[in-house]
Amino acid sequence: MGIHKIIILAFILVLHTEARPISYSGGTTVMYQSDSMSNSVYIHYSPTYKYSIGIENVDDKFFNKNKNYLRLTYLINRKNTDISQRNLYFQSGVLVDDADGFFYGIHGDWETRRWFSGFGYKDIKSSFGQDYADQYIRLGVAPYVGDYGDLHTWVMIKTKKNSLTNTKSTYPELKFFKGAALINFGYSNKTEWDFHFMYRF
Amino acid sequence: MNKILLTLLLTSPLAWAEQDHANMNDHSHEGHLHDTMVDGKNLDVSAERFDTFMEGLTDVNVAIVSVKGMVCDFCARGIEKTFTRDKNVQKIDVDLDSGKVMIAYSKIKEINFKEIEKQILSNGQNMSDLQVLEVNNNE
Repeated sequence: MGIHKIIILAFILVLHTEARPISYSGGTTVMYQSDSMSNSVYIHYSPTYKYSIGIENVDDKFFNKNKNYLRLTYLINRKNTDISQRNLYFQSGVLVDDADGFFYGIHGDWETRRWFSGFGYKDIKSSFGQDYADQYIRLGVAPYVGDYGDLHTWVMIKTKKNSLTNTKSTYPELKFFKGAALINFGYSNKTEWDFHFMYRF
Repeated sequence: MNKILLTLLLTSPLAWAEQDHANMNDHSHEGHLHDTMVDGKNLDVSAERFDTFMEGLTDVNVAIVSVKGMVCDFCARGIEKTFTRDKNVQKIDVDLDSGKVMIAYSKIKEINFKEIEKQILSNGQNMSDLQVLEVNNNE
């Protein structure tokens, strides 16, 4: 299924859904991410639980470029149950100084306090003709279930694929989560370290 | 711990239904706070957690909110932030394990089902039930 069909399908799903926050309403989030392709700092604000707007600075290691994206993430669908939550998001970004450079995609997750699964697909258009796609699938389990405020730990496995480098790698990840802070890191002998830090105000 | 007199005011998702409830003096707090309410509903709150929550509180109304989709600390943190913006909220406790949120309001605040439902939804979760306890502490 092409990305355009997926996005159309995602918007159709909006008609049947209830919604939930990107962050909680009024929440500001700071993220730092680093992997073999790029380092990025992303700050976003959620006016409501349905969407967030932000700016991302990307140090692109592959093209040796520094880019600034204006970003919008929109919650397409959320399903809450007594023990779980399922989300589907639309994500997009456009370069501040070059409207020909942009990306869009979807990502989703389903989680309970014990189990986690997630996926993402992002189509990146560059103004110099090097378009590519990034995709991942992630599965995880919490070895113990903590209460609010405890240190939470997740053991995960992630498979990611990048069409630019034509690499596909599967590797383990660890996620630690306490209060407003989250740290996630993994290592693959193909793509080396994958690090993610998030703090929510 | 102070002797606690609890008069239970019960609300259902469909309507407010206030009913006087049993005197809680000398009521055992082992196990659950109160096994069954007058309408037959279970008040599924850990007695130990409730006692800890009530420490330092006097003359409050406590809303016990059942929440769907509260699966992580970010959800809990959002709910906490949302309710503590209300100056009439004296204390809040989020129990991820049971999916319950306890909110202690000043007596002057009238607890409103629709308002709490809206606040929970503004954080992205859904409220499935609300029970209200009027707590009068006797020295």
